[in-house]
Amino acid sequence: MKKVSLLIIFVLILATSLVKNSTKEIEDKIFALNQSIRSLKVEFGDLMLEYNFLSSPDKLIQYQSQYFEKELIKIDVMRIKEISEKNNTIELTDLKKMIKDE
Amino acid sequence: MNEKNSQIILEEYENKFLYRKSKTNLNIEFNRIAFIFFMFVVISIIFSIQLLHLGSLKKDNEVKTLITKKNYRADILDRNGNYLVKSVSSIDLGINPTEVIDEKRLLVNLQLIFPNKNFSEIKKKLNKGKFFYLEKKISSQNFEKIMLLGDKSIKYEEKLTRIYPQKNLFSHIIGQIDDDNQGISGIEKSFDKELKTSTEPLSLTVDTDIQFLVREELERFQSIFRSKGSAAILMNVNNGEIISMVSYPDFDLNKREALKDLNFLNRASKGVYELGSVFKTFTIAAGLEANLIEVDTEFLNLEKKLKCGKSTIGEYDDKIPSDLTVEQILIRSGNIGSVRIGQRLEIDKLRSFLDKIGVLKTINFDIEEVGEPIPFRWGKCKLATVSFGHGITTTPLQLAKGYAIVTNGGFDIKPSLIKKDANHIWNKKRIIKEGISKKINLILRKIVSTKEGTAGLANIKGYQIGGKTGTAQKTITGGYSRAKVNTFVAIFPTSKPKYVMVVLLDEPKISENYIYKYRNKKGSYKGTPYNTAGWTSVEVAGKIIEKIGPILATKYMEN
Repeated sequence: MKKVSLLIIFVLILATSLVKNSTKEIEDKIFALNQSIRSLKVEFGDLMLEYNFLSSPDKLIQYQSQYFEKELIKIDVMRIKEISEKNNTIELTDLKKMIKDE
Repeated sequence: MNEKNSQIILEEYENKFLYRKSKTNLNIEFNRIAFIFFMFVVISIIFSIQLLHLGSLKKDNEVKTLITKKNYRADILDRNGNYLVKSVSSIDLGINPTEVIDEKRLLVNLQLIFPNKNFSEIKKKLNKGKFFYLEKKISSQNFEKIMLLGDKSIKYEEKLTRIYPQKNLFSHIIGQIDDDNQGISGIEKSFDKELKTSTEPLSLTVDTDIQFLVREELERFQSIFRSKGSAAILMNVNNGEIISMVSYPDFDLNKREALKDLNFLNRASKGVYELGSVFKTFTIAAGLEANLIEVDTEFLNLEKKLKCGKSTIGEYDDKIPSDLTVEQILIRSGNIGSVRIGQRLEIDKLRSFLDKIGVLKTINFDIEEVGEPIPFRWGKCKLATVSFGHGITTTPLQLAKGYAIVTNGGFDIKPSLIKKDANHIWNKKRIIKEGISKKINLILRKIVSTKEGTAGLANIKGYQIGGKTGTAQKTITGGYSRAKVNTFVAIFPTSKPKYVMVVLLDEPKISENYIYKYRNKKGSYKGTPYNTAGWTSVEVAGKIIEKIGPILATKYMEN
């Protein structure tokens, strides 16, 4: 009985130290990953800012007048079609249907 | 006495000792091991429970790390995740002349790094002996070069810079911050604490593309109708989410200017105006709510003019018939008919209805720049004028809220600029009887779609636009001025309203050269015949909806 108890304790201590050791390794990895994510996040944020600025409606209008001769036109909502797929065939339906009082 | 006591203790100790001695050594050791084992098991259980507890924690309940750095402020995004505001840290560089060892050497080195600077001025500043800023917001390259000089007199300060990629577009909504990272207006002020502590960006309900198109039209028509300013609000009638809110003129947030001109006021939420006939919809909705009228209830022999105290109430349109139904009163914007409905309602019912839809008191909004409707004393004459929208003031934002409630089936909403989580449950509380919205929406549609209506210029095919116009003279001390406030409230689609749009023009003037293209009939018309909402704000609203409509129809199909 005494030997069994001692063995159990020994096994438990060994298991605890092993688990703790591996946890620490994981923690270190998590920390390293978090650090690299943080720098990537900063980079992503800066790129997004640049993208948002360059693709802002104001800039796009500026580019349009700078590089294209044709004016931008409004889309008539009645001409917008909806694409759907039925039995391997593509169907086009009107997005808006004319309503009686229109 | 003391001796006796010590004797007793000795005896007890002896007995105990004898008793313990009767046990075997092995037994004592085993108890100790069992105790250690027991303690180990207890600790293991506690540890396991703690692990299980941590494992069971939901993501929402995770303790968020609070950042309380001086130079931190969370970013602000629009509803599609585009940056409206981004924080970047910048470095300001200064020189403390008292710590300069070799002035000549320092100046030569600085001249190499900043060749475009005026160094005779810097020399003067150095001679004064007081700290001064050499360069603000320097690039990281120049900062590195400066640091390599290793001069102790060069001081640097890390500062927070807010970048606004959309420039003027959201100036009134976002607001400004001061040099100490304190919000001083807009969202920056009302969400100051959250922005300083939250690790996540703040998402707003506004849409950059729609905001741009709305602003573009307001800016265009500002030059056509030469108004003092203008405002537009686009809001979802079912949940109060504001998709666009523009007040013109606006300002570039990147310039960080101190605004002293009152014309930069946020007209959409802080401007308090007498809005005129747009209130007639509320009078009729109150009458329907109180079961005192129906859409086809007739009002016969309506006078052309009414006297109330010193003032006279007349019709704007002299050709308006004397016999009108409730529906015709709203379509033709009859003043006398609205007064008769108001009189049938009496003060309490009209007041409580207006209070219920939130147009009488200051609104609780996500930004602090909200106007306070001017309080007044109700009386017989006040009841008459309020019935057709005169002698009562409110803000365009509250007007949008009122129309949203009246048209969305009678459910209360709270206008909001802050985007809710995808899991947010919208609590719908009905405050107006069922069925009233349907009746009102049909009339609003006729105001736009029929020849008798006052808003035909907004009848764009495919959107089922309904709405009400309001032309009011601006109040001055002791009366009214000749300047006007022209408003149009649009609801679309009227069969199942989704959006409310308010367009307000502050002091517009007629345009002699603008060409109107009729929408309810063929042809066009050059020049503004009357300075009314029907010829000004309705045209602006029509042009805006024509532009933003395809985006709303496609981008927000499922919403």
